[in-house]
Amino acid sequence: MAASTFLLRCWLALVMLSIATVLLAQGRASAWAILLLAVLKAWLITDGFMELRHGPQRWRGLLLAWAAVLALLVGISLSLRS
Amino acid sequence: MCISAEAVVIPRRLPGDLAMWLFMLAELSVFALLIAAFAVTQTLTPQLFADSRQLLDTSTGLAMTLSLLSAGLLAALAQQRVRQAQAGQALGLLLLALLAACGYLGLKLAEYQHLLSLGLGLEYNTFFTLYWILTGFHFLHVLLGMVILAWLAAGCRRRRYGPGNCSGFESGVLYWHMVDLIWVVLFPLVYVLA
Repeated sequence: MAASTFLLRCWLALVMLSIATVLLAQGRASAWAILLLAVLKAWLITDGFMELRHGPQRWRGLLLAWAAVLALLVGISLSLRS
Repeated sequence: MCISAEAVVIPRRLPGDLAMWLFMLAELSVFALLIAAFAVTQTLTPQLFADSRQLLDTSTGLAMTLSLLSAGLLAALAQQRVRQAQAGQALGLLLLALLAACGYLGLKLAEYQHLLSLGLGLEYNTFFTLYWILTGFHFLHVLLGMVILAWLAAGCRRRRYGPGNCSGFESGVLYWHMVDLIWVVLFPLVYVLA
């Protein structure tokens, strides 16, 4: 697949996930579902736009973990209050 | 003729300069602390956060997200053109990226103006204190990202970048992607989560 096509597909997926985030919130979906979409978007940016899918595994792991850990923290904090 | 597996393995490469990655790591750590502070404070005053969030417009937040992501796509496409020695096309794409970023800028400034007109400033309540710190800090990063994209565009105009000399260009584009990465976590946290 051409690099430009791949980038366009990443962007399209990011747009769809962003719209889905708002729709899920309007449908009173679980916070975990919304956070999962945020993590997927962060991973698309990391692997697609930042090209870490071809990068060293440690750097890739670090950036993928950044979004996942934060989402987990936010999710747990929301669970604690309810 | 037999070619061993090792001969065709493409080595993993870190785009841009290592210094930029270390800088981004420091930036991401600062934002992680701010996001953690927001999450913890939200646990202590859930009703205040839920009520205050109602005062923000989610569709504006979505429009800002789409502006930033579109600028990210255009910057990434410009990077591809630089690698293919098409600096002229890269320049055009970077100018479009700046235009998309201006969309975010306009929306954010209008939102700030609207909130201030309602008296929802930094000292209104805990939610808005954290809102202004988090989004204001991110806003400053967007401004710096736009300066960097403009700098890269000027470099393309002078044919400074090419297939053998694109590490600096990659570092600049990476900074913009980091701004996007932070925003995709901030957006649900500040605007969406009920």
